[in-house]
Amino acid sequence: MARELMYREALREAIDEEMARDPLVFIIGEGIAERGGSYKVTEGLLAKYGPKRVRDTPIAEAGMIGVGVGAAIAGARPIVEILYVDFTMLGMDMIVNQAAKFRLMTGGEGRVPFVLRTQGGAGGGVAAQHSQSLEALFYHIPGLKVVMPSTPADAKGLLKHALRQMDPVIFIEHKHLYMTKGMVPDGEHVVEFGVADIKRAGKDVTIIAWSNMVPRALEAAEELAAQGIDCEVLDPRSLVPLDKAAILASVAKTKRVVIVQEAVRRGGVASDIASIIQEEAFYDLDAPIQIVAGLNIPIPFNLALEKASVPQKEDVLAAVHRCLHLETVG
Amino acid sequence: MADAILVPQVGQDLTEAKIVALNVKLGDTVAKGDIVAEVESEKATFEVEAFVAGIVISLPYGVGDLAPVLEPLMHLGQAGETVGAAAAAPAPAPAATPAPASVETATAVSPPPIAAPAVVTGSGRSSPLARRIAAQNGLHLNQIAGTGPRGAVVMRDVAAALQTQPAATTAPFALRSNTTLKSLQAGTGTPVVFLHGFGAELAAWLPLVARIAVQNPMIGADLAGHGAAATRTVTGFDALVDDMAQRLAEAGITSTHLVGHSLGAAVAVALADRGDLDIRSLTLIAPAGLGPWINGDYITGFVGAKTEAALRVWMQNLVHAPDRLGDAMVRAAFAARAGSAMPGALDSLARSLFEGNTQMFSVQAALARLNCTCRMIWGMQDAIFKPTDANALPGLVALHRLPGVGHLPQVEAAGLVGRLICETVRSAS
Repeated sequence: MARELMYREALREAIDEEMARDPLVFIIGEGIAERGGSYKVTEGLLAKYGPKRVRDTPIAEAGMIGVGVGAAIAGARPIVEILYVDFTMLGMDMIVNQAAKFRLMTGGEGRVPFVLRTQGGAGGGVAAQHSQSLEALFYHIPGLKVVMPSTPADAKGLLKHALRQMDPVIFIEHKHLYMTKGMVPDGEHVVEFGVADIKRAGKDVTIIAWSNMVPRALEAAEELAAQGIDCEVLDPRSLVPLDKAAILASVAKTKRVVIVQEAVRRGGVASDIASIIQEEAFYDLDAPIQIVAGLNIPIPFNLALEKASVPQKEDVLAAVHRCLHLETVG
Repeated sequence: MADAILVPQVGQDLTEAKIVALNVKLGDTVAKGDIVAEVESEKATFEVEAFVAGIVISLPYGVGDLAPVLEPLMHLGQAGETVGAAAAAPAPAPAATPAPASVETATAVSPPPIAAPAVVTGSGRSSPLARRIAAQNGLHLNQIAGTGPRGAVVMRDVAAALQTQPAATTAPFALRSNTTLKSLQAGTGTPVVFLHGFGAELAAWLPLVARIAVQNPMIGADLAGHGAAATRTVTGFDALVDDMAQRLAEAGITSTHLVGHSLGAAVAVALADRGDLDIRSLTLIAPAGLGPWINGDYITGFVGAKTEAALRVWMQNLVHAPDRLGDAMVRAAFAARAGSAMPGALDSLARSLFEGNTQMFSVQAALARLNCTCRMIWGMQDAIFKPTDANALPGLVALHRLPGVGHLPQVEAAGLVGRLICETVRSAS
């Protein structure tokens, strides 16, 4: 059985269940305790688990992330909530030079079961410093796992898995997804990293998308279905580790790929996935891989410009048409 | 890839030519247009011209040797290349000004086991998937019309080709031995038979054949009174058609695509009209028999020419731009007459087919009864017939009018004509 939950409720369930299961789990962040979090993910947890395990912090991201990484090294299971992914830049040394390297530099004896929860993406006119999609920065760093759930069920299952494994996880939610609803399985629901999910099966084109681009791709797929084009929407769910096998299997079936990322085009994860596909599935491809991505600009404050700077449904439709060579038909 | 320079067909009945001069040796670098050798028939000496640049990588003959006609005289390639690589590679395009009456510049006519087509007709672009699936199925991408971006062959094109090309798996077509028909290029599936015009012969098709990228076997037939059939004199158009029907039957051809030029095109229509052959498609180039008018002066002058110079003057009427009439064409046409039965046969045939400026036969009615794929190609500056003869064609017939082209579209617009033949044959396979 399953229940319909909002994305934020599913995240809360995951934290709640894991805190109940494992006394080493604790959570810190700005306004997460008494206020229940800006997106209401941690609402009610203070009352249930007390101020030692659910703790508000000053506005000091570098310090919070440092505390989290240190606690993880010391054997706890911290969740550090950073209000915007943009603010993780303040703690990059702790993430990149400490958390990501510690396991290797201790010969595998030291582990960092550190979970950084944050959210990114454009939406609502919060401007250039609160709208970025920065997954590529973390994707680039060996030693980090990068997870970007698109549905309530995935959000719950992936977060629970993050709190049961031993390496640093950058868990990036999307500000537009917190209020979205979806069915979440009852009982114990854990989703392992590195297992992609086919959000919609199809045979003509594979659309690879993650986070908020998944609902956008599904919307495009529905419209394309009305045109007789059967799209498969593949959500990798975790970018590191990446479910390469599922991607290649889908490409082998459809022969055409569109990759949709909200992040800017330059140096993005989409480019890397495209390079993997061309290297390993070149002879399956009937068209150049299409990448639909954000413009190479800071996100503008103006709402119309904000919309123009990140992929929209129409961009996905056009890319699918391109890789079916439809623009060349009379 | 290596290119074969062929021993030219120096006469109708001759199967070998004597090599009287070799101007190159192994390892020499040859420029396009260089005269690489001279070969001799009983009647004339022919210069062999390199139609591409390259290094001589094989040279199996010496001066004084007899070499079979239409077989490689030498191969040109790149340093370090071997001829084996040449056999596996598609043959190149022929020279820019092909010589229809001799084959000085024709390309390899004996294809490798998987019949590689001679010429890339498409854009040369394709998707990786299209390449892989085509290769797995023995299809050549240059035989497939691309519908992708800028003419790229994509999977849907390969899928369509797979549906329409069961011929890829059939056995090679073999001509029966007791025939005057000659294989222009081996292949599989329904043969394509080429019927030349008045005063020409089957070897005239060779440069064009190199531009036709189909897997089908391509076969040349000499009309009665021409080439190897010069001694078969017939009177009248019907007898000419009957003779050709008989030759095709002798050769074991029951199902065929026909490509005809001028008089040969009229014969093709008449053959289709007989109904005893399974004619898959017709490609009619500047066909005779559509209207009453013919340039009678040309016929008289062409048949009566006693010198190469006189012949050249009359043959200029065949092309719109004089420089399209290669010297080799005139020389070969003249050499073909010397000591042969052809002049007498042509004279008698001409008298039975034409009276002054009048064609004494018509295929208009036969064309109206036609029930197969048919494409017609006219040069708008044709000086032998009136191109306006094509103004009233049955709706089934596709018409291509080529501006700036005379009576020899297959020479003057060889690339396009090759492509159109290719498309016709494929669409009707």
